Amino acid sequence: MARRYDSRTTIFSPEGRLYQVEYAMEAISHAGTALGILAKDGVVLAAEKKTASKLLEQLASSEKIFQLSDHSCCAVAGYTSDANTLINYLRLEAQKYLFTYNETIPIEQLVQKLCDLKQSYTQYGGLRPYGVSFLYAGHDDDFGFQLYHSDPSGNYSGWKATCIGANSSAAQSILKQDYKEEITLKEAKSLAVKILNKTMDTTNMGSDKLEFATLSVSAGGKVVYKIFKPEEIEQLLKDEGVLTAPTEQTATSDTPSGVQ
Amino acid sequence: MAMKGKNCVAIAADRRFGVQLMTLSTDFQKIFEINPRTYIGLPGLATDVQTLSELFRFKTNLYKLREERDISPKTFSHMVSSTLYEKRFGNYFCEPVIAGIEKDGSPYICSMDLLGCINHAKDFVVSGTASSQMYGTAEGLWEPELEPEELFETIAQAMMSAVDRDASSGWGVIVHVITQDGVMTKTLKARMD
Amino acid sequence: MEALFGITGKGFVLTASDTTMARSIVIMKHGEDKSRVLNKNTLMMYTGEAGDTVQFAEYVQRNVQLYGIRNGVPLSAHATASYTRRELAKALRTRNPYHVNLLIAGTDPKTETPELYWLDHMASMVKMPFAAQGYASYFCMSTMDRYWKPDMTLEEAKALMQKCIDELKIRFIASLPQFTIKIVDKDGIRDVQL
Repeated sequence: MARRYDSRTTIFSPEGRLYQVEYAMEAISHAGTALGILAKDGVVLAAEKKTASKLLEQLASSEKIFQLSDHSCCAVAGYTSDANTLINYLRLEAQKYLFTYNETIPIEQLVQKLCDLKQSYTQYGGLRPYGVSFLYAGHDDDFGFQLYHSDPSGNYSGWKATCIGANSSAAQSILKQDYKEEITLKEAKSLAVKILNKTMDTTNMGSDKLEFATLSVSAGGKVVYKIFKPEEIEQLLKDEGVLTAPTEQTATSDTPSGVQ
Repeated sequence: MAMKGKNCVAIAADRRFGVQLMTLSTDFQKIFEINPRTYIGLPGLATDVQTLSELFRFKTNLYKLREERDISPKTFSHMVSSTLYEKRFGNYFCEPVIAGIEKDGSPYICSMDLLGCINHAKDFVVSGTASSQMYGTAEGLWEPELEPEELFETIAQAMMSAVDRDASSGWGVIVHVITQDGVMTKTLKARMD
Repeated sequence: MEALFGITGKGFVLTASDTTMARSIVIMKHGEDKSRVLNKNTLMMYTGEAGDTVQFAEYVQRNVQLYGIRNGVPLSAHATASYTRRELAKALRTRNPYHVNLLIAGTDPKTETPELYWLDHMASMVKMPFAAQGYASYFCMSTMDRYWKPDMTLEEAKALMQKCIDELKIRFIASLPQFTIKIVDKDGIRDVQL
């Protein structure tokens, strides 16, 4: 039955589903885990990098976590190539808003902008939907720190802590258990490390498999985005007591190529 | 006006905004920070000063996100040049001045006409309504290899003397001296009339 | 021959606009309100070419309202002024620019800071403690320079506004018999009498 309704992206099946959109979400569930935790004094984003081979050159820049503007950043799960396009779009929209209003864009509006774009691919025919989910961390004057999630259908929602990608349901349940209101940024960082340590299907965590970023406010009231350098990730893992000696790992993954 | 010194540069502007002979504001911003080592001065039609400053903020913010580093003064001046030339027919009425310190520590200054033709100078560049006066004062006061403090004194004196002779500029002067270690900003009171 | 004024005080902006609609040498109407309420705490006053003024003010008004409905958060006075400047600047380099001069007055309901922006038809924007638009500025900027001080009370601001209007009555060749006076504060926008 399904076969007849999944050849086009914009046709509902008799059960009322959009198969291509669901397949896009399926691609994401194979991607490296990305999680976000909203603390009272900041937001943490952490992501698992699925390095396919030890021969692969490490990229100079990040591949899972990106800065969007002075006051927002995001983590991605899904097709990296799709994500690059969308991140470019997000950055542009943030600057366009600043250009028009001389104020930074409210986070929810930025998320909404991207979701409008994503939604259009579930309605206009001929093109495939974007195979990316995002976690957005941001700060604005009206609502303070915020964490959002958006998926390929164009739906978005605000969260205190959430997770996308492989093993996200496992991570989600730990979050539900261990998240407490009034969590501090420092506690959120440890929680993020703890969860990734449990859910990543690797025995040895290391800076080559992780990306980590925080958003906080400096003493002067400026929003600070910090992406952790490999040494800083190692240090963080050491502090949390989850760092093990790196041993050689063979890539064991059924992840489709391009999905990270 | 911008001047080169020894491992430092200075950029200065007056603070008046007015319509013809009526002064409306005496704290109008004409110099904009692009990053801690690059500044741009935008003398000209006020609306274009504001539009261009917003446009360069837009472009350099995206540049920084894309390249993950600050734009260098030289690269930035070419960005400015193309932005101006893009509007070759229906131009912005603004002749920018750029000052900054390059990555290797060398001072960089340049000025541009309203279509984006870049003019490099080894000593100083000037632009705006008082430019003819500034040529004279800067020519007389500038010396090679000035230290930051001396450079500040030189550009401040050159600016003050020049704007005092020009009816449509003045109401205070703002000076930024850019060195490798940081920026020193001073607001000077000139003849406030 | 039109006149607009704005004076900021402690927690409010006092505004005045003349009410005369003239074409060439003929007065077509008395009692015209040359302002539009953009949102609860922001007022736009306009002078300029008839037609352009109302068209532009209402265009901005509706976009600012739409923003509030879409996003659930009203646009601040500064963002409104920046948006207005952008629209004017965009139009400036088209074949049909708007010939409109504006004052935008707003008071932030949370911080109670008054803001007053002066914009001309070329889209230059300046934030001012007090401002005047039109020929009135030639007469009254100096009056306000002399008598304005920070954190004025409403009574003091009203007295200063009266001084400005009196100055026009004495020295200005055109007669502007009536002014609409408004106050923009944290509670909203109201008509007041001098």
